[in-house]
Amino acid sequence: MGLLPLFEWLGQSPVGIFMRQSTYAFPVAEMIHLLSLAILGGVILLIDLRALGLGLAGQTPGGLAEQLRPLLVGSLVVSVVSGVLLLSDEAIKCYYNPAFRAKMLFLALAVVFYFAVQDRFFLVERGGGSVAAKCAGVVSLLLWLSVGLAGRAIGLI
Amino acid sequence: MLEQFCQWLYDSAIGIGIRESIWVFPIIETVHVLGITLLVGTVAILDLRLLGVVLKREPVARVAGSVLPLTWAGFGVMFVSGFLLFWSEAAQSYANPAFRIKLVLLLLAGLNPLIFHFTIYRTVGDWNHRIVTPLGARLAGLFSLTLWGGIICAGRAIAYFQK
Repeated sequence: MGLLPLFEWLGQSPVGIFMRQSTYAFPVAEMIHLLSLAILGGVILLIDLRALGLGLAGQTPGGLAEQLRPLLVGSLVVSVVSGVLLLSDEAIKCYYNPAFRAKMLFLALAVVFYFAVQDRFFLVERGGGSVAAKCAGVVSLLLWLSVGLAGRAIGLI
Repeated sequence: MLEQFCQWLYDSAIGIGIRESIWVFPIIETVHVLGITLLVGTVAILDLRLLGVVLKREPVARVAGSVLPLTWAGFGVMFVSGFLLFWSEAAQSYANPAFRIKLVLLLLAGLNPLIFHFTIYRTVGDWNHRIVTPLGARLAGLFSLTLWGGIICAGRAIAYFQK
């Protein structure tokens, strides 16, 4: 079964109807999306740089990731919720948009890589200086950057 | 005077070039957003430390020392790319209320750390390890978060007021 019915349902839902009818809902959701992205981007950057041996010198990569986890998860949740609101405004259009599809793919990869691989295996190292940990940091940064670039492209395609 | 200058920028070869190219404007815009993410995302960590929300066990000066070079890099990227975007839209930006608000907020966001560094931050040695920082430091963090958040919102609103 394809995902199209889900997108159709979202577009026809009261939320989607509200987003299309309201003058301010879309811009406001967009601003919230951008604000949460800035926080998310900053947190990811600091954690990944720490994995590369840069940034907050007093922190182990694992310690830093643990302390910033509430901020990471919080900003991720806000950006996903605001993103779903934006999506509901033009769900079918997004469904067929290659940039949107690429963004969702990168987002899934970035989230899974961060929580299932990076956080569990590479950030727990005390020094975080191993080559594998550094590679994981670079992969994470590139995945999140791809999410951002694909996201920007949605409006251009 | 300022209006003529904006018109002159707008009519210049570079202004026209950025405006009329299909790819240049969106590319600069993307770089601009990445620069803002770098700037705001990193300064927010310091602001939240000043407010005692994150990295509570980390000394304030160390957070500032490791975060601010990234913030400045983000500022450089944001400023240069932002000026190029302005260059191509200067005639419209001049009269754009969101753009005007954004510039005022930018000025305030610039003054805030200046005041912070020359007043309360001078005594950082006394409260470096404290979770609850002095009122002045907490206010600086709060102003910074509010102003940069406002700048992102006003910046996004520019496009809605354009033309």
